[in-house]
This record gives sequence, C-alpha cells and structure tokens, in this order.
Amino acid sequence: MLFTAYFIARVHNPESFLNGPDKLVTIAGTTITLFLLSSGYCMVKAVNAIRCDQQKSAFRWIILAIMLGLAYPVVKYFELNWYIQNGVNVDEGVFYAAYYYLTLNHLVHVTWGLMGLFFVAFRTYTGAYTSESYSGLEAAALYWHVTDILWIVLFSFFYILR
Amino acid sequence: MIGHTEKIWFTLMALTILGALLGETGNAGWPLTLTVVALIFIKGGIVIDHYMEMRFANQRIRNVLRLFITLVPILVIVSFAWGEEIRRLTTLN
Repeated sequence: MLFTAYFIARVHNPESFLNGPDKLVTIAGTTITLFLLSSGYCMVKAVNAIRCDQQKSAFRWIILAIMLGLAYPVVKYFELNWYIQNGVNVDEGVFYAAYYYLTLNHLVHVTWGLMGLFFVAFRTYTGAYTSESYSGLEAAALYWHVTDILWIVLFSFFYILR
Repeated sequence: MIGHTEKIWFTLMALTILGALLGETGNAGWPLTLTVVALIFIKGGIVIDHYMEMRFANQRIRNVLRLFITLVPILVIVSFAWGEEIRRLTTLN
C-alpha cells in the first residue's frame, strides 16, 4: 500500500520526482544504508555465534548491531534538521511528501526493531538462548533484515532514481 | 580470515557505494532506471538468501520475499515506461 502511494505519486508528478533527489543529501542516505547493512551483518554473526553456544560472542555482536542501528536515527536527525533549515519540506512538492511519508514510516519500524534487539541482547546476556533454543534471537534478526530490504528499496527510490 | 558472511557484507557495501555514485552523477533515463532496479534486485536477493538464510528455509516463505524484490523493480520499469497511461488510468476526473 505504501509503495503503491509512491508509484501513483510518481506517475502523476514526474517533474517533482525528476528533480526531487537533487535536494536530498545522498551521503546521509548512503551512510544510513551502510550502517543498517553492517548492523544486519552483526546480527548474522550473532545468530552464528549462538549456534555454537558462544553466548558472550553473540551478546557482543548484538550490542554492535544495536550501536550501528542507533546510528540510523542519529544520521536521520541531522539530515532532517538540515532539510528543515533549508526549507526542504512537503510544500516543495509531492516528492518530498512521499519521502517524509515513507522514510519516517520506515524509521518507526526500525525503532521497533531496535527495541527488539535490546530485548534479545538482554535475553542473550542472561543465557536464555542456546544452540538448541534461539528462535527469539533468530526472529529479531529476521525482522531486522526486513528493515534492511525495505531501506534498500527506499534508498533507491529517493536518493538514486530520477 | 575473510569468510562467506564477510564477502557478502563487502559486496553489499560496494553495491551501496556504486548506487550512491550513480545517484550523484546519473542522469534520468533507461540506463539509470535499469541499473537501479538491478541494484534493488541483487541487494535484496543477497539479504534474503544470505543474511536471512532463506535459501535454506521453506521455499514458500522465500518466494514471498523474492516476490517483493521482483515486483518492486517491475513496477519501477512499468511506471517509467508507461507513466502517462497509468496517470490516465488513475485520474478520477
């Protein structure tokens, strides 16, 4: 549904979508992508560690995943601050309305994901997961990877595609 | 030692930087559009198969995720090629 809104807005406002990415900070979008995908890598390592019953290693990987994941809202904060100061808002065109709508929606889901990672970090620290039983950790990792996939699409839609 | 996961991570980093460079230098047109859809398909596929390990999972679940990263690029191409027609079809008056 969210992506349908993007495509409908795009075909109805080709000029806005042609020039829209020029005012976005590509380095911010790129940094977010690199942090999120690196955070995803850490969760892969965490799941692999728990499969070998290496709880301490798994905990460290989850903490690293959280730190890299937290970089996303931090970068986003500075990016949005820059847009506000430079008048890049929804009044500038439909492209920016779609941008704020989809990326802030994604940010909300990343926030849920980070809360999930904090929870599984605590559970891993208390020894709740073993090589025999780690479905909770795996579920949190899968959710986290889905946010990666969605961001790959959003990054391409708003920062690259014209 | 560089293992399989590290190679996957490095590939994703390289493809992301390639995409960013395209975003800064690319002009609108078919070459950019097709490159972007290829990047979505490849990067999404890597995350699904290697990060999420869906290549070892139930194929129905894998296909649902694969459908998403296939459908999105198709819609990008369709909206680029037939934008005018879709605009007419989705106009209320």
